[in-house]
Amino acid sequence: MHANDVDEMLRETFVVVPAYNESRVIGDVVRGLAASFPHVVVVNDGSSDDTAAVLKGLPVTVVTHHINLGQGAALQTGITHALERGATYIVTFDADGQHRVEDAVSAVRLLREGSCDVVCGSRFLGTGSNVPRVRKMVLKTAVALANLTTGTRMTDAHNGLRALSRRAASCLDLWQSGMAHASEIISQLRAHKMVIREVPVQIHYTEYSLAKGQSSLNSINILLDLVIGRFLK
Amino acid sequence: MTFKYFLVAVLIGFIFYLLLLPRLDAVRKAVIAFVVLTMLVFAIQPDWSTDVAHRVGVSRGVDLLFYVSHLVLFFVAFLYFLKFKKMEARFTKLVRQLALERARVEP
Repeated sequence: MHANDVDEMLRETFVVVPAYNESRVIGDVVRGLAASFPHVVVVNDGSSDDTAAVLKGLPVTVVTHHINLGQGAALQTGITHALERGATYIVTFDADGQHRVEDAVSAVRLLREGSCDVVCGSRFLGTGSNVPRVRKMVLKTAVALANLTTGTRMTDAHNGLRALSRRAASCLDLWQSGMAHASEIISQLRAHKMVIREVPVQIHYTEYSLAKGQSSLNSINILLDLVIGRFLK
Repeated sequence: MTFKYFLVAVLIGFIFYLLLLPRLDAVRKAVIAFVVLTMLVFAIQPDWSTDVAHRVGVSRGVDLLFYVSHLVLFFVAFLYFLKFKKMEARFTKLVRQLALERARVEP
């Protein structure tokens, strides 16, 4: 890919970062992203800490939920905003600093090649898996649940790094506000016959991101949310 | 016996209260009225509930009422839970709309 092509691709991409009480790390995460992507949209999901203050002055668009709604709701808000502003590609990126910007760029590059509509990051593909053991068990349970409810064979359904084409992003109408949105995204994309590819990504685990991540018990909550979601449709 | 009169009085009062509720639709009113009337009949004639219990394989009428009331309560709680979830979804849409409109004004 030529340098001009890469520039154009990055210009057409909007990175959506849902953030809830991430003042300690959001500044660095956003600066890292903004160095490659001209359009970064942070959805401040009703943070009660200094997240809003940290974001002031950074080269990003901040969309603010006045109250905390959950990551799924924040993602949907960011995606809708990016679509309104004419995004061709949309990347979702966690605010806790666990993803690498170069993985996001590679995902969009793969998307641009046109062989798929969605690229999902997986920490269990390839050789770079450095997932702590307990975390691995939680995530594998989440993956099994997601595969069961969506009928897919993903290796890592709860990875926050995804790249979506405009067409794929337009299919989404996330109903699950909380963490069950990860399975919901896959099931809605599948319902619209979107082609999903998984690519290996590296997760940078820090004490901070592990504390922020999901607890083992949350798998039960996710399952309940998904079951209840069916009644509400 | 005193409790029986008290129960009958409360149930009759409830039926009047129900009839006066303007916002409840007719089907719901009918279902609730049926349940309350059944309770009234069983309060006046407790032996009848035992007869019904025997027919469905439960030894005492009061046990049958206990089981049925549990089921009804669970069902009602579930309905309210769904209602709450639906309300939450509407609330989410409202907050999102507000956030998006504000972002349009001050990009």
